[in-house]
Amino acid sequence: MVDLKRVAGLTGVSRVKGEVHVGACTPLSGIASDRIIRATAPVLAEAADRVACPQIRNRATIGGNLCNASPAADTAVPLILLDAVLDLASSGPGGMTVREVPITDFFRGPGSTVLAPGEILTHIRFKPPPKGTFAAWDKFGTRRAMEIAVASVGVALKVESGMVVHARVGYGSVAPVPLRGRKVEAELLGSPLSAEVIRRCEAAAREEIAPITDVRASAAYRREIVGVMLRRMLQRARRD
Amino acid sequence: MQDVIDKVELAIAVNGEPVRLEVAPHVTLLEVLREQLELTGTKYGCGEGECGACSVILDGRVVNSCLVLALECEGSEVLTVEGLAANGRLHPIQQAFVDHGAIQCGFCTPGMIMATHALLQGNPTPTEEQIKRGLEGNLCRCTGYRKIIDAVLSLARGGGCRG
Repeated sequence: MVDLKRVAGLTGVSRVKGEVHVGACTPLSGIASDRIIRATAPVLAEAADRVACPQIRNRATIGGNLCNASPAADTAVPLILLDAVLDLASSGPGGMTVREVPITDFFRGPGSTVLAPGEILTHIRFKPPPKGTFAAWDKFGTRRAMEIAVASVGVALKVESGMVVHARVGYGSVAPVPLRGRKVEAELLGSPLSAEVIRRCEAAAREEIAPITDVRASAAYRREIVGVMLRRMLQRARRD
Repeated sequence: MQDVIDKVELAIAVNGEPVRLEVAPHVTLLEVLREQLELTGTKYGCGEGECGACSVILDGRVVNSCLVLALECEGSEVLTVEGLAANGRLHPIQQAFVDHGAIQCGFCTPGMIMATHALLQGNPTPTEEQIKRGLEGNLCRCTGYRKIIDAVLSLARGGGCRG
């Protein structure tokens, strides 16, 4: 076992050339309270703040939340909404090499990522969304403390002249990996946030997820709750 | 077969006192506190970060000491429930728990008190909702939460908590 937490440069949040760089060893409590994260990606701050409890958030890192590769990882869905890119570093005969992997390509299945032996996640990077972008994230559980999500949903979208011009949708705990909602995004793009469109999105969400039945909820219940959560978020986006 | 690392030197400060120890690499902070330093106020509950009975303050932040390897604490300051009372007087948080009967079997109490300590350091006047969130990582199996929340609320209202 190798502890990376005291490696210089892996902790903290900074702005670099129009991007936000998040060190993989930044604790979740640090993500939740960071001024740059709160200003540019409040849903990421909120998700970090809803993981487990203060004791865990003070120790657990965002890199650990991702590399653990739980389908329920709370920070993964906000990072899908942000089109985040992960820097994976490894050392070889020619020195250190870094490859970029989009968050949607990082997870392979429960507990499994594309990280190669000896490779580490060093940074998570994203561009701050343009002003006027609506973003929401929520997780549902049967209690509020220490809860692993039964399901989580996130939406980011931008509306111009009554039409959706940018849409990102993500789901947690309803597939082998944190999932991007491409079918719902396709329903939203170029459409108004009408009741009819929201109904179609709800149906598309239930279709594109692949939940299982486990100790926390049945697959049918997860399909139901994901549709409801998405509908409420889109209705909120329409009001905003 | 590589050499097995037997013991490593560790220098930490516990309740304001510098301590030098030799610890095995797999030993947790909780085990060092309870078994090497005989500070048994910090409790071993679940051993996996679910219950909060082992809560201590590590460099100003509340953590589950069962999930921290002792060697990660090199150079750090640890505050346990034994470090709260001073000059023979209970800390205001401890006194509030006594005054409100915020205790039944007592097993969760040291952890509750340390989590309360961290909560009040960050926010001296928490609302009831903020208290519930601040203590969300601490389980009481006697179901005595109401009196615990009342004790913390009294500190928030009275503003009498220091240290």
